[in-house]
Amino acid sequence: MQFYRISGLSVASEIGLPGLIAGTPEPEPQVTIRLGPVPESLPEPTASGPTWQIAGKQFLLRIPDIARFLLNDGSEIVFAPETAAGAVDIPIFILGSAFGILLHQREQIVLHASAVRVGDQAVLFCGPSGAGKSTMAAALAQCGYPLVSEDVCAITAAGSGAPMVFPDGRQLKLWAQTIDKLELAERRGARVRASLEKFYVDAHDAFSEPLPLGAIYALREARPPHASGIEVPNVVDTALILRRNAYRPYLVRRMGQKTNYFHAATAIANSAGIFYLTRALDFAKMPEVIASLERHWLDQQLMEKAA
Amino acid sequence: MTRTIWLTSYPKSGNTWFRMLVANLSAKDGKPVDINDLPERGGIASARGPFDYLTLIDSGLLTHDEIDCLRPRVYEALASGLDDDEYDKAQDVPPVRFVKAHDAYTLTPKGEPLLAGRRGADGAIVIVRDVAPSIANHNRTTIDAAIELMDNRQATYCAKLGRLDQQLRQRVPGWSGHIESWLDQNDIPVHLIRYEDMKADTIGTFRRALDFAGRPADDEDIRRAVNYSDFAELRRQEANNGFRERSQPHLGGQFFRRGEAGAWRDELSAEQVARIEDAHAPMMRRLGYELASGIPLARIA
Repeated sequence: MQFYRISGLSVASEIGLPGLIAGTPEPEPQVTIRLGPVPESLPEPTASGPTWQIAGKQFLLRIPDIARFLLNDGSEIVFAPETAAGAVDIPIFILGSAFGILLHQREQIVLHASAVRVGDQAVLFCGPSGAGKSTMAAALAQCGYPLVSEDVCAITAAGSGAPMVFPDGRQLKLWAQTIDKLELAERRGARVRASLEKFYVDAHDAFSEPLPLGAIYALREARPPHASGIEVPNVVDTALILRRNAYRPYLVRRMGQKTNYFHAATAIANSAGIFYLTRALDFAKMPEVIASLERHWLDQQLMEKAA
Repeated sequence: MTRTIWLTSYPKSGNTWFRMLVANLSAKDGKPVDINDLPERGGIASARGPFDYLTLIDSGLLTHDEIDCLRPRVYEALASGLDDDEYDKAQDVPPVRFVKAHDAYTLTPKGEPLLAGRRGADGAIVIVRDVAPSIANHNRTTIDAAIELMDNRQATYCAKLGRLDQQLRQRVPGWSGHIESWLDQNDIPVHLIRYEDMKADTIGTFRRALDFAGRPADDEDIRRAVNYSDFAELRRQEANNGFRERSQPHLGGQFFRRGEAGAWRDELSAEQVARIEDAHAPMMRRLGYELASGIPLARIA
């Protein structure tokens, strides 16, 4: 068994999960990840989609020709490779899909977001695949804002205090083009999968303690009718942003989480802030985007003015 | 239940114009719909969003072939109305979901129709446009490069390996290859529209297409939609506000160009026209397009 802390949870895993924060062995971990038999389908599913089924407290996810994952009541992930080649890719799909869904089972708010530390708070960038979350985090990490979270961001809206973000030390995953444009070749690690031109990139001073949530930016491409800039969405959009940027938004309603997300959106909008960040998908514009973010952080008092 | 109809064409053949016509059937407040307000999901079959949304898998972690193997499942799910909430909720559910597709009609590595055959859609409207004029309309590439791409049976869009394209990979095996793949498949019914006929008789061509699709519309709605989708109107809106569906908006240029059926004659050399016709004469003849070299044609029925 190997022990990790993922999204604030203690995890014991039979399989190594590269790049995560090592945890201390615990007799009763909150989540166990193990190899075992996983059925092709669940009896009497209550909801289903092209690659998945829900039956009560069980969730079955199938990634064809790679692996199947059975998630039990938010506390166990059982995996079964479908091919020998698929076995190699199991960790990436545990971290990339299965664990995010498990967090839904635990009724936790989990966003499709990457985050950096600004001052003493976490700033999140969310959006669907291809929106530029990891690129934004990587560029900011280069400017001295430590990486907090990559791709998946668990938020605990506990009590009356500020919602907290739990880092888990994942490495950045970047495409070859991004590594090239951001000049990160020196920190490039292994391929994420043998068949992809996407690599782990070491974010050297990654942060590992929970941080209060400072701001959430929903990434948008500058495309008519949206011009570049940072803006505050209207009240309806604020709630929608959180739900649409859930890690796997389709599950929010199907797993009875809609109300939780609504309340979380209100709490976050009050204690931190939810914004649109609209910019051209153009590496040459990155310094401008970072400068506008820094101005915004000064305004929002996430960052203090230089003496 | 909502029917799904693919709107398929080689690029720059009038597909977007057709979508504007459809959108303007439901125009409200006595004015044309905003060209930047067409439903996103109905936008294009190769959009990445619905794939990730419905499969719960990050398509950025899959190879192009792995994605292709799963795409039929996504279209089946969309056709059966699985995404009935949240993602891009329509105000009122239309009787027909028109979905643009530049993908050729191909099979996945596992041998099933990429677009899921009958389980993915009830039919396809294939919009074609004479080959030379659609080349002249290609943006940001030389005409010679466009001619080459149009004759490349292996051509793909969004197939890069070192970055994530906003759309999923599409196989678009040249002008002839694309049209052939749709006209010669037997899985779903096809309705063929020539752009030139749509220009010459917009109302009649549009009405016949709507009949095929099973989308009821009265004469008044159709007339209004045609007026609202007039080229001058589309160009006016783009000039004022830009068009979000342009592939790289920050590079400038206009999506809605001349919209004139004969405009290409000013833009291609005789040698280029000869090269195009050499490559595409059989399909041109099949579609009833005249060869500039003057070979007589048998118009198709």
